[in-house]
Amino acid sequence: MDKEQLKKIIYELVEASTGKKKLKQSDILKKVAADQGLEKDEVKAALRELVDAGTLIFTYFGGSFIEIPPKQ
Amino acid sequence: MSELPQRQTDIGPPHYEKFLHPVIKKNYGKWKYHEILTPGSMVHVSETGDKIYTIRVASPRLLSTNTIREMADIATKHCGGYLRFTTRNNVEFFVDEEGKIAPLIKELQDKGYMVGGIGPRISNVVHTQGWIHCHSAATDASGLVKAIMDDLSEYFTTKELANRVRIAVACCVNMCGAVHCSDIALVGVHKTPPRIDDENVKNFCEVPSTIASCPTSAISPDPSKKSVKIKLEKCMYCGNCYSVCPAMPISDPDNDGVAIVVGGKVANLRSAPTFSKLAVPWLPNNPPRWPEVTDAVKKILNAYIAGAKKHERVGEWIGRIGWEKFFQETALPFTIQHVDDFTFARETFRTTAAFKWT
Amino acid sequence: MSKKYATPLLDELKKGAFPSFVKEMEMAAERSDMAADLLGLVELSYKEKVTHWKHGGIVGVRGYGGGVIGRYSDIPDKFPGVAHFHTVRVNSPSGFYYTSDAIKEICDIWDKYGSGLTNVHGSTGDLVLLGTRTESLEPIFAELSSRGWDLGGSGSAMRTPSCCVGKSRCEWANIDSMAITNDITHHFQDEMHRPAFPYKFKFKVAGCAVDCIASIARADMSIIGTWKGDIRIDQTEVKNCETKGMNIQTEVIDMCPTGCMQWDGKQLKIDNSNCNRCMNCIARMPKALRPGTEQGATLLLGSKAPIVTGALMSWVIVPFIKMEPPYEEFYELVGKIWEWWDENGKNRERIGELIERLSFPRFLKEVGLEPVAAMVKEPRRDPFFFWSEEDIIKK
Repeated sequence: MDKEQLKKIIYELVEASTGKKKLKQSDILKKVAADQGLEKDEVKAALRELVDAGTLIFTYFGGSFIEIPPKQ
Repeated sequence: MSELPQRQTDIGPPHYEKFLHPVIKKNYGKWKYHEILTPGSMVHVSETGDKIYTIRVASPRLLSTNTIREMADIATKHCGGYLRFTTRNNVEFFVDEEGKIAPLIKELQDKGYMVGGIGPRISNVVHTQGWIHCHSAATDASGLVKAIMDDLSEYFTTKELANRVRIAVACCVNMCGAVHCSDIALVGVHKTPPRIDDENVKNFCEVPSTIASCPTSAISPDPSKKSVKIKLEKCMYCGNCYSVCPAMPISDPDNDGVAIVVGGKVANLRSAPTFSKLAVPWLPNNPPRWPEVTDAVKKILNAYIAGAKKHERVGEWIGRIGWEKFFQETALPFTIQHVDDFTFARETFRTTAAFKWT
Repeated sequence: MSKKYATPLLDELKKGAFPSFVKEMEMAAERSDMAADLLGLVELSYKEKVTHWKHGGIVGVRGYGGGVIGRYSDIPDKFPGVAHFHTVRVNSPSGFYYTSDAIKEICDIWDKYGSGLTNVHGSTGDLVLLGTRTESLEPIFAELSSRGWDLGGSGSAMRTPSCCVGKSRCEWANIDSMAITNDITHHFQDEMHRPAFPYKFKFKVAGCAVDCIASIARADMSIIGTWKGDIRIDQTEVKNCETKGMNIQTEVIDMCPTGCMQWDGKQLKIDNSNCNRCMNCIARMPKALRPGTEQGATLLLGSKAPIVTGALMSWVIVPFIKMEPPYEEFYELVGKIWEWWDENGKNRERIGELIERLSFPRFLKEVGLEPVAAMVKEPRRDPFFFWSEEDIIKK
């Protein structure tokens, strides 16, 4: 799968979950890999680009999660 | 701030080898034996015949850069610029000739450092952040350590005990730092349940994870308020919900306090590593010197000094005399809180008719 | 500089023999408004007997999910200097050795951007820089990393591994604990910096069963050095111990937990096949006794502090493993354990708690470890055990 498309899928998953259930990195890897029939490592590489760019961030509250950064 | 250097990621820590004293580097893996020379110094002897002398001082763990620079300068002057820190937040200086020990110790003592902590003594106290930096602290850690060690300093600098006595302080039951396996440990405890701020639970907390955080299933949903409620009789005040949901503050200045647990160890020598067990369920927070706590610690230590055989750790001494005797020897009251009703409770009940009268 | 706040309660803790943390705060306060306000805030805590810190928020450096702990005062209007007071965890070098120059370099960076206060070290083993503002985090990271320092772990990640001095300055080290720790840390940089686990995971490496790093009590995986074969004995030095005043019978022979030693006044005999390698005799007579030469480690899994369902100590999962580079067998096992944890663990569930919940036999089967008697103190007491399909006799 095209990486940009994969990144879009990941972002939309996090977006759809916002305010409902916080997702851990592992939740995202499992879900997207299963839905798209991909290896987790491929999803992980795409997720890492999103995090490196600051499009998604790690947050911590009683556990580490992936979220959309708050608007300043 | 425009002139920042280029950041790098995932480089990991620098390799330890470049921080090793030349004698340590040369004799890496070749050490043959060691001897404790004084309460604050020891020598390690290599198969090559080389020797490295270690001089140990206490630190309060909370260090200003001033003090770190001073330590570094001392290391530069006396030790070729090498030093290390121990797991228990002691600082160690190295010299390669016996004659260099005295001037080093003199300078350390002149500058107010407490030299000692090696051998069958009280070493530095492992502890947590407390009121200096922690959101869930039920007591301060640095202040308790200071109060206790001021009282017991001679067991760091000179006096010998039957064996080492490891003291630790944790400012809440999260117990950052192996407090649960120490000879004598203090732990900050709450005595009252968290208070629920319904409006903020609704806005800041995930209700399912807040419910899941409770080890005794005391928390349930309160749908009308989009919040949670607590079955008070089930709550054992651990504060785990507060770690997950900040709208459930648990601190209570009058009722937060200090529990004392004793008899734990991590070393395998003679007997298996053991958990510390409850000696005192609650003493008041009475800063700045916590006199009730320091008194109880001294009672325990004095009973150990009076009763322990050579090489017995606190837990081994108690194991030999029995816990019923421990409460007698220390004159600490045995209360309903001492009887376990948690996960491993039944393992702790006395299933024998053999015990001592006290 | 005159003091910003009166601190009568803390001033009491400047007295006494033990080094004073209050003096440390005062020294930092000479230069830093943050440290000055910290003194005021902590004095208030001493007066009110309650903490004035709030939970962490969303702070960190770009790309990482750990290494920085967000911290805010709950009374920022009163003490603006500690409105933000975040912690930066710097991954310490194995064994906590430093040169004066290296540690001063960190001080320089910290004086420029932070409160000037530190913990050397925090409980996990990071060099903790205590108290800075959100906008300083990226500059601090750039300054540190460009000079060869990286951040340690926090959150649901591999935490900064730590170890005893090992072979650098201890004759009892059966494994190269510093090299192993350094290797694990570099091997798992992604697992450390980008939290992907159900909860934290700690490695601690001890060279022998004295366990100076307390690995058995506070590491999800405890790596403890041990040996096979015979304890090396220098009979002349044994005799010297007695000459110097040691009572070998009461201090060594009678204290041996397995009763596998004999001393007739001339010759020390050890029945090594019954030795459980507790280290007592070796620790009593460091000049006379040394561990055997076939060295490796025991791997133990699962320890943690009592939150939430009670404290656990690590228990044996691999009785003996050679811990030599490139540690292939070890890393393969760690990978399998993490995969199993990822598959089955809940948020905030440590590996030890997960094994308790799902059962140790199931863990052994699914991770592919053979059960051996060394893994338990005693076999089960109940008759309620499971069988597999292949164990059933079919007509």
